[in-house]
Amino acid sequence: MDKGLRWNFDELVEMAVTGKVSQPALRRGGYVHRPDGVGEVLPGMYGITYNARVGDRAFGWAGDHVEPGVSIAHVEERADYALHYLTCIGNEAEVQTGLARGAKGVVTGEHARLLVDFAPEMLEGLTIGDTIQIRSLGRGLRLESHPGIEFKKTSPSLARALDLRSDGGRVSCPVAMELPPRIMGSGAELNSEFVDQDLMSGDRPLMAELGIDRMRLGDLVGIRDVDHRFGRSYRKGWVAVCLCIHGDSVMTGHGPGILTLMTGPAELLDFHLDPDANIAHTLGIRNMA
Amino acid sequence: MTQRNRLATNEVDLVAVSVAGAVAHPGFPGLPAEPYRLATDGTPFLLPTYGGIVYNVSVGERAFGWAADCIHPGVSIRQADDNQNRGLNIFACVGNRARVMTGGAAGTLGVVTGKSGRFSEQVIVHIPREDRTRMTVGDDVLIRAEGVGLTLTNHPDVSLKGISPELLAALPAQEEEGHVAFGVAAQVPAHLVGAGLGLTSEGGSLHMQSTDRELLAELGLDRLRLGDLVALEDTDSRYNHGYLRGARAIGVVASTDGPRSGYGPGIAILMTAPAGQLGSFESPDTNLVQLLGLED
Repeated sequence: MDKGLRWNFDELVEMAVTGKVSQPALRRGGYVHRPDGVGEVLPGMYGITYNARVGDRAFGWAGDHVEPGVSIAHVEERADYALHYLTCIGNEAEVQTGLARGAKGVVTGEHARLLVDFAPEMLEGLTIGDTIQIRSLGRGLRLESHPGIEFKKTSPSLARALDLRSDGGRVSCPVAMELPPRIMGSGAELNSEFVDQDLMSGDRPLMAELGIDRMRLGDLVGIRDVDHRFGRSYRKGWVAVCLCIHGDSVMTGHGPGILTLMTGPAELLDFHLDPDANIAHTLGIRNMA
Repeated sequence: MTQRNRLATNEVDLVAVSVAGAVAHPGFPGLPAEPYRLATDGTPFLLPTYGGIVYNVSVGERAFGWAADCIHPGVSIRQADDNQNRGLNIFACVGNRARVMTGGAAGTLGVVTGKSGRFSEQVIVHIPREDRTRMTVGDDVLIRAEGVGLTLTNHPDVSLKGISPELLAALPAQEEEGHVAFGVAAQVPAHLVGAGLGLTSEGGSLHMQSTDRELLAELGLDRLRLGDLVALEDTDSRYNHGYLRGARAIGVVASTDGPRSGYGPGIAILMTAPAGQLGSFESPDTNLVQLLGLED
């Protein structure tokens, strides 16, 4: 790790939070609508997703908002908010019940549910309703050498794995791609401690032109001219580094989910392109050779 | 009322139905009754927000500079039941006639001037200032809902959203083969479109962003008034709101600015088209006050 970076790891408190493996649910009617209005019924959210995993493509699934791995939630609302607000990306998870009891996983995203990756063979023993416990750690994380940068949902293991580089007063993070601020959409109405903001993929030729359609689940992405401290909005001279947590969507204003990990003014925070900047690789979840 | 344009519509085929709501009470979250919201820089603030009878903010006045968070001018109504409220929010069209049915201002006529979206979901009604002083929270307001189903006969690719035939006819318009343009007070670039993206475009609102104050001043957007018609560039609002090059949405400024990230003035979207079929032109005073002849 870069010697110029000093973290407050020894101040952080580690707490258990739990959720249960969710059952897919649909709204009455079940349709999601394409930009031209045509309705489709598509899988993707909730449950155990057997064949879409962090490191896989974010685009091109016959699904909507595909949540890789296992999607868990707590049945009690306030406990569920604790699951959302305390869990950080890279936290360790363990199955507490059922045939897969003892299986270890890693938190890879936060959507309306928490998303946990397990090795594919572990998924075979999991059932809807199994309890998964997370050792939440990372809330309160600060880069003491660079206090002007704010971190969200970044566990110490992710902080180490990001491969941040410091150059004097400025920190740069490797990212797989850059997104323009004008395509940042659904989630603008939420606070930026809660879930993600979808990139808007409705302009399909633009996705191809900018190479955004090659995004993978787990990619780090950089956005210039946005301030993600308290909400997510356009502000010249600010930067956010985020994580792709779920797959594309057919709906207008939606697309792959982009979760904020850090934000700060451009004189303190920057990013640079590195095609390997994906947490499946950097957190050692998958061999991405 | 201003001169009517000559755009052909299916107005004669529209069905007028009643929708009603009660004047909404302002609300705060439950225990521990945390009264603060956070501004875009994290500063806690405690200010009046949407709902209720607003005595001193009316359509036609400035959208910026109030000590408030996304205030609805005039009177805001809703239904207690969410499904019924959805009926009210979708069927009520901007420009529809409203009437106070109960209380001290019973019989007073008003006009629908906007709507609000996720987390508030109210219909905003202009009632003359003096009549507001005789109203009480909970008063029933009935709307003659007419406009859902409205189409522009010669411009089938333009989707109309919650606009009354009267307002449509009153808009400054320029028509060519396969293209129609409307006069607007301002154009908002796509990177300043905020809360409401990805959410329903049937009812509700789409906020412009106001975090970057310098940029707003540069573009003159901080001079917008409540009731101004505005165009949102590269915005497709046919089924949800989202980014699409060449698309355009036109709406009316329905609520004031606020300090929260993503929540500048709320805009009730009135029409949209995906691929250049809808245009806009500069027309500085295009505001509901003149278009609908609103009485102060």
